[in-house]
Amino acid sequence: MSGLDWGVLIGTIAFIVLYGVWKTRKTQQMSAYLRADNTERWWMMGLSIMATQASAITFLSTPGQAFDDGMRFIQFYFGLPLAMVVLSITAIPIYYRLKVFTAYEYLESRFDLKTRSLAALLFLLQRGLSTGITIYAPAIILTAILGWNLTATILFIGVVVTFYTVVGGTKAVSQTQRLQMAVMLGGMLAAAIVVVRLLPANVGFPEAMAVAGTSGKLNLVDLSFDPNDRYNLWSGLIGGFFLALSYFGTDQSQVGRYLGGETIAQSRLGLLMNGLVKVPMQFLILLVGVLVFVFYQFYAPPLYFNQQQASNVLASEAAPAWRDLEISSQQIFQEKKAATLALVEAYQTENKPGEEQAAHRMQQAEAKRKEIRQEAQLLVKTYNQGTDLKDTDYVFLTFVTQQLPRGLVGLLLAVVLCAAMGSTASAFNSLASTTVVDVYKRSLRPNASDGHYVRASRWFTVGWGAVSIFFALFASQLENLIQAVNILGSLFYGTILGIFIAAFYFKRLRGNAVFWAAVLTQIIIFLLYQYTSIAYLWYNLIGTILVVSLGFLLQPLLRKPA
Amino acid sequence: MTKGDIDPPPFFKSWTSMYWLVLGVLAGFILLFYLITRAYT
Repeated sequence: MSGLDWGVLIGTIAFIVLYGVWKTRKTQQMSAYLRADNTERWWMMGLSIMATQASAITFLSTPGQAFDDGMRFIQFYFGLPLAMVVLSITAIPIYYRLKVFTAYEYLESRFDLKTRSLAALLFLLQRGLSTGITIYAPAIILTAILGWNLTATILFIGVVVTFYTVVGGTKAVSQTQRLQMAVMLGGMLAAAIVVVRLLPANVGFPEAMAVAGTSGKLNLVDLSFDPNDRYNLWSGLIGGFFLALSYFGTDQSQVGRYLGGETIAQSRLGLLMNGLVKVPMQFLILLVGVLVFVFYQFYAPPLYFNQQQASNVLASEAAPAWRDLEISSQQIFQEKKAATLALVEAYQTENKPGEEQAAHRMQQAEAKRKEIRQEAQLLVKTYNQGTDLKDTDYVFLTFVTQQLPRGLVGLLLAVVLCAAMGSTASAFNSLASTTVVDVYKRSLRPNASDGHYVRASRWFTVGWGAVSIFFALFASQLENLIQAVNILGSLFYGTILGIFIAAFYFKRLRGNAVFWAAVLTQIIIFLLYQYTSIAYLWYNLIGTILVVSLGFLLQPLLRKPA
Repeated sequence: MTKGDIDPPPFFKSWTSMYWLVLGVLAGFILLFYLITRAYT
């Protein structure tokens, strides 16, 4: 990495952190520390909500997913705008009326203490585990591609985020996130423009789309209904709706963002801004991945994107076999490149038979390339015991570091670190506020001073920072990082959402029945995950329905005799 | 009830119109993406 890139990277991160600390250094009241004193404007909340959801994994894994599987992942976000509307109508007015610090406080006024504590506990468990992954995921990829030290990278992200979150609380999280979001959007837009400019002179954006379409990468909408298929229109609209409803309505890392709004109207606008901008933003990130795929149709990609794992094979007795595969891969690449250029020419001259012929040649070459990839993966598996075999998470950063001009590499790395820091800061802040408000203040020290709770919040932020860093340092590699986070979320979100849906809409349900229904539901969800192949997005719907229906079934059984 | 409950959203007379805008934009994107999928498959 050049000096200019280091300058851009360090300058961007340092400016954002120092700005956040300086702006929020005088935060001393609990209301200011945990709810930003209700001073946030809608656009600040909108950016903060988006930055919380957009982790580093979003910018590393999503382009890789588009590179490998096309753009169908976009359907995952179709339920999100619907959820934003429902939450604006239902949840926001209730939270504001009760003046809560956390979403779980509401559950005690509606049900009882044990249901509130259960929901808070499920949140702490889920968020505490997944925050470790949000730190670990970018660290492992940055380490593999840039040769950075893994432990140092994890410690850097964890300690810096803990520092400014401890100093300024929710306000610091929000102040830094708006700058981080600007860097993220600017960086990805610049990357999209530069990828198109790096394509051969006769290949513009329309030709790039023709190549991507012929290769099956523009598979944005799939109307077929298959409950075992992770991404189609229906799983996105229904499963995605329930996941978004749960994540934005009941996960304190998000609820904490919009509870800091000046008024109900400002909070609603913040959520609706997210509903309007999220789908096109994800489209842009996936499009960058597809454009990187098109780039590698004209310029030879490495046989395997995870260079660290490839090096392990090269250092073994399988090195000659690996080199043979590299030579075969180069030959297939040349065949495919010739077919792709023929497709571009046929597209430009509107020669339909020529397009079909070229497409057929491309598909044949692709089938051969896949065979070589499978052989390479077999070698990687043999000489990298127990590690992740999907190298799609490494595609985007490999492209950035090897192909982008100086300065832009630093900016894109800043995008990844900003994303990691923004989502991690929200997580630390929400973990600390839930621990203080729903456990410490409610059950352990109910009558302490305001200053005491702010100090406690700071110490709990440090504590959760340490726990997350610990998990990040000892996390094992997972199949696909973004999916790992989403699967973990879906395992718990259905139950939590079921509790809140019961609270909001089913006035006849009482605390005892909902509590035991939630416990049973969580056990059933774990069993479904272990023993069935149902796509994880459906757990959100199944969990929600189970809590409500089991609640109604259990209610007559648990009713105390008069 | 807070003042925010009474405030209408910017550019619209009611919140209902604002919600329809969000849903309309989503429907527009799904339609656009469907047409792109059809055109390139």
